[in-house]
Amino acid sequence: MSLAPQEPAPATLTWAGCWRGARAIMAVLPPVFVFGVAFGIAARGAGLEGWLAALMSVVVFAGAAQFAVLDLWTTPVPWLPLLVATFAINARHILLGASLRALCRGLAPWKVYGAMTLLSDLNWAALIAAERKGERDLGYLVGGGLLMWATWVAATVIGAVAGGLTLDDVKTYALDLVLVAFFATTLVGLRRGRVDDLPWLVAGLAAMGAVWFLPPNWHVMVGGLAGGLAGLLRDEIKRPG
Amino acid sequence: MTTTQALLVVFAMALVTYATRAGGIFLVGFVPMSARTESFLRYLAGAVLVALVVPATVRGGPEGYVAVGVAVLARLVLRKALPAIALGILAAALWRASMGAS
Repeated sequence: MSLAPQEPAPATLTWAGCWRGARAIMAVLPPVFVFGVAFGIAARGAGLEGWLAALMSVVVFAGAAQFAVLDLWTTPVPWLPLLVATFAINARHILLGASLRALCRGLAPWKVYGAMTLLSDLNWAALIAAERKGERDLGYLVGGGLLMWATWVAATVIGAVAGGLTLDDVKTYALDLVLVAFFATTLVGLRRGRVDDLPWLVAGLAAMGAVWFLPPNWHVMVGGLAGGLAGLLRDEIKRPG
Repeated sequence: MTTTQALLVVFAMALVTYATRAGGIFLVGFVPMSARTESFLRYLAGAVLVALVVPATVRGGPEGYVAVGVAVLARLVLRKALPAIALGILAAALWRASMGAS
């Protein structure tokens, strides 16, 4: 059959790749830094010790989930809501990881699962944009992730120490826009042409549907799956024979 | 919340979060390679990005539309991401300022 998947070259994981990935996410470090400081401040406000806020940034490294659990930081510990919220907000990582299959080909499991500790929206987006231009090195994810992680942790410490500052709403708002604009420009680089029309339309509509009708935080999961399935369906219908 | 409890919460969160990070590549390993799987995964990355961008843009309101619209246009014209993002944010800031003045 002519449409059998062609075997791509095995992926690599090198220092050079790490360096390229680190350079690629430089531009989004300022928002990561400011959100990190904001998290440190908010964590102190919610009654966490500074060292605990820093530790959370070190081992969890997932901004949205970390902010969300601050609202649940009560006694007795609301274990179920806490862990469900953490899972729901981070479930999108499952789709991000699955989409990196080709970039993990032939790598030792410890390298793959080690690299995944640093998987995050920003370095993932940078990597898949680079993949379109021929990038085959999973180090790209690691380098970008390490730089973001170091920034996130340092910023949390600064926020936790600085304490009483309050961030101007206007400024955090603009930083939110930096991240959206980053993802949107990545999307432009990812577009292959008309084949993407239907899947992307479905993904957008499904994501908005999830925002309106589902509990918070499921829109990336729902939109991603719906768009992927729409693309699959499209290929099945267009397939000759 | 005692210190012990807080530590348990933090490490439980870390475990759950890592499970989602490792889960994608783990689960996809059980799916046999086929034209269908390849097709789905090929569309997945773009669809996830769309699902990130669209709700965030709508939530941003007029400034969100201006920032994303200008950034996308600039990315198409200039073919460079960084200046495009900068122009998008600048346009949103100008939009905000002009609305505030009126």
